[in-house]
Amino acid sequence: MAKVNRPGSTSPPDGGWGWMIVAGCFLVTICTRAVTRCISIFFVEFQTYFAQDYAQTAWIHSIVDCVTMLCAPLGSAVSNHLSCQVGIMLGGLLASTGFILGSFATSLKHLYLTLGVLTGLGFALCYSPAIAMVGKYFSRRKALAYGIAMSGSGIGTFVLAPVVQLLIEQFSWRGALLILGGFVLNLCVCGALMRPITLKEDRSSPEQKCDCRTQKEDCKRAAPYSPLTKEWAQTCLCCSLQQEYSFLLMPDFVVLAVSVLFMAYGCSPLFVYLVPYALSVGVSHQQAAFLMSILGVIDIIGNITFGWLTDRRCLKNYRYVCYLFAVGLDGLCYLCLPMLRSLPLLVPFSCTFGYFDGAYVTLIPVVTAEIVGTTSLSSALGVVYFLHAVPYLVSPPIAGWLVDTTGSYTAAFLLCGFSMIFSSVLLGFARLVKRMKRTQLPFLAKESDPKLQLWTNGSVAYSVARELDQKDGASVATAAPGYNLT
Amino acid sequence: MRALTGLRGPRAPRAPSAWPLLLVYLIAGTPWSLADGDPPDSPFTNLVGEEMMTKYSNLSLEIHSISLTVSSIHHLDKERRGAKGYLWTKTTTTTTKKTNQISSWKDKPAHRRKDSRHDVSMAVSVQMWNGDFSSDENYLPCLLLGRGFMTNKSSMLVEKNITLEKPSNMELTCQFTTSGDLNSINITWRKGDELLENNNYLINASGNTLYTQYTFTIINSKQMGSYSCFFEEEKEQKGTFNIKVPELHGKHKPLITYVGDSTVLVCKCEHCFPTNWTWYRSNGSVQVPVDVHMNDKYVINGKHANETRLKIMHLSEEDGGSYWCHAIFQLGESEEHIELVVLSFLVPLKPFLAIIAEVILLVAFILLCEMYTQKKKKHPEEGKEFEQIEQLKSDDSNGIENNAPRHRKIESGNQ
Repeated sequence: MAKVNRPGSTSPPDGGWGWMIVAGCFLVTICTRAVTRCISIFFVEFQTYFAQDYAQTAWIHSIVDCVTMLCAPLGSAVSNHLSCQVGIMLGGLLASTGFILGSFATSLKHLYLTLGVLTGLGFALCYSPAIAMVGKYFSRRKALAYGIAMSGSGIGTFVLAPVVQLLIEQFSWRGALLILGGFVLNLCVCGALMRPITLKEDRSSPEQKCDCRTQKEDCKRAAPYSPLTKEWAQTCLCCSLQQEYSFLLMPDFVVLAVSVLFMAYGCSPLFVYLVPYALSVGVSHQQAAFLMSILGVIDIIGNITFGWLTDRRCLKNYRYVCYLFAVGLDGLCYLCLPMLRSLPLLVPFSCTFGYFDGAYVTLIPVVTAEIVGTTSLSSALGVVYFLHAVPYLVSPPIAGWLVDTTGSYTAAFLLCGFSMIFSSVLLGFARLVKRMKRTQLPFLAKESDPKLQLWTNGSVAYSVARELDQKDGASVATAAPGYNLT
Repeated sequence: MRALTGLRGPRAPRAPSAWPLLLVYLIAGTPWSLADGDPPDSPFTNLVGEEMMTKYSNLSLEIHSISLTVSSIHHLDKERRGAKGYLWTKTTTTTTKKTNQISSWKDKPAHRRKDSRHDVSMAVSVQMWNGDFSSDENYLPCLLLGRGFMTNKSSMLVEKNITLEKPSNMELTCQFTTSGDLNSINITWRKGDELLENNNYLINASGNTLYTQYTFTIINSKQMGSYSCFFEEEKEQKGTFNIKVPELHGKHKPLITYVGDSTVLVCKCEHCFPTNWTWYRSNGSVQVPVDVHMNDKYVINGKHANETRLKIMHLSEEDGGSYWCHAIFQLGESEEHIELVVLSFLVPLKPFLAIIAEVILLVAFILLCEMYTQKKKKHPEEGKEFEQIEQLKSDDSNGIENNAPRHRKIESGNQ
């Protein structure tokens, strides 16, 4: 506990062990996102072995995706209360157990439980804590670090897909699931890499925790079987939950959450419906598969290059704008898609959409970190990815229903395009409103002592803190908006 | 014949290069007459033929024909202005013949046939001329419009594959066109090497074309095989009909399973419906039928007539090997091979344990590194604290020591 005595590194190192964290997060993204996508390679085997049709086997993939996203807040809570390392290692063990038990499955229901629920839970425990950790270690090069870390899903899919196919040919699906379970156990290695770091702003928050801490100590001192213990425990719990999820009440975060809902609604159907749409306009099977490969590869390029780009000094303060620009462009691409009816037109579409898809995926954690600060980043990311879950589940079937009833893909694509454009417009509008409020700030500051003003109006405090940020070039005092120091 | 496929001629005496071989022509109900040289119709043979036909009239009729000719038609693409006509010439290493000299070249504007065999021995060129055919002086090549090559294979192999499931009546037709004398051509039908009887095949001749038709009925597997028609001119031309039962095409990758597991072997036929399916195992070259009566081990079922599934339960290592599924038709059998590999669970366990060992090693290494760096930080901190304490002590001592001289100095100063 020497670190408590000495605060250690007080600012994000932006390098050094940070790159190991990035490598760990890269591996986490491979083991979670890429492996989830590769599960669909097993479907043909499951269909022949269990004599079921495609719809039944496709549930496995949906369950994994859904559970991973829905339990993301649980993952960030576990890593906040225990430690990031323990959380990710636990997640790795769970996911690996899911795969190993799945290799012994005798019916499709067993696979739903083991490969679906258990593995999804394990992935959820790993994903958001790992991404939050990257945010703690970087500030200047945050977007680049995130870009490299998130490119794991694209690169992982690219590399793992033929490997999984080879494993199935050599060992059949049972052996392949077993070996994949061993591969997923590497999440424990990533967990070991996630050394905890205490940042300057983390020190300020223990002062607010003292209310709960004193209450906790009182709980321990009191007789364990006293009737008051439950009440104490409940208030302790309420207090800590309230503190942890206080960012939910921030207007900025609410705006981000709503926009994420619409954005997630819009982005998922393309990966499902690009190939059928291309086939319907006369592109051959091989060329359609080629379009998907382009999408995947350009996605990776977009991740890394856009991350590097938004780290440049000129763009660093405009990451928010870059994010909404990327989302808006993706929406525009969607709107143009029904007019593209041949391969030479679809290839540039794939390139553009893939690039900006990778771009905004990189910037989601960056923008979230800017809004809530690095202390609550883990929980906030948990909530953000939780909000991805329901649109991911709901959007492809709705698009499919639209395609079936209208007979063409135009309605589905237009709906997705408008959804994404609305998401980016909402963000832009919120930013405009904030700017207008900020122009009123100088008047308030002139009237009284700025420091007193700091703690009375949350949004004002945030604006002042942002100005400080821009001066220092480091996110220093972004914490503690909305807290009332009594 | 790629060189000349671009040329397409609208009018004018275009001469498609009909090679002195056989032309194709699908017959539908043309009246047949016996060519010269055939044995006369005997009422006996006719009666037998009619009886056979009525006996098997409930069977389906299959009509197949072969074109033994390679006719490559050359077309002229565009008309050239001012041309009065077009001249086709055929040039070999020894001769050059022009259109009007080759009677077998016919103007067939409708046909577009390409030759696929390439044996360069002759060039055909198209030339434009400004005169009439009558005298040679007018055959001045004004413009060479194109050139192409034609094959001149001595023996041509033309085959047609016929798949047959049920007994049926067969009508096989061969056609042959030549510029030479039709009467000198000897026509025979053979099954394999065996010469077939004359009375079952009919020969017809019209113009330059010779048609021959062989009618018979297939009722059992002995009648399946290769039927060939032979036209003996200077070189023998032959057309073959390969009559076979439908073949099964399946996956060729081995099926991998584990001990104690169960598996399903599937045999499918896309467009055929066998009357029965049987399964065999083979160790080496001998095929042994699978004992279907062991109900706890083997279960055979198939949802549709064109597929069969063999489910094997409680697999053991001896169950591995080659399995054959036979599709039984009325006219024969066709088989398919499936390879079954039974692995013990230790086989994928080894890579798995290797990965686990690697994970444990890496985790231990990283955690140890972390503990080491933490200790290092602790010790320098403690070292720094010691240093600080010592510095404080030395400062104190220095201060005490310094105080005295200072006081003395001051005192001395004061004094």
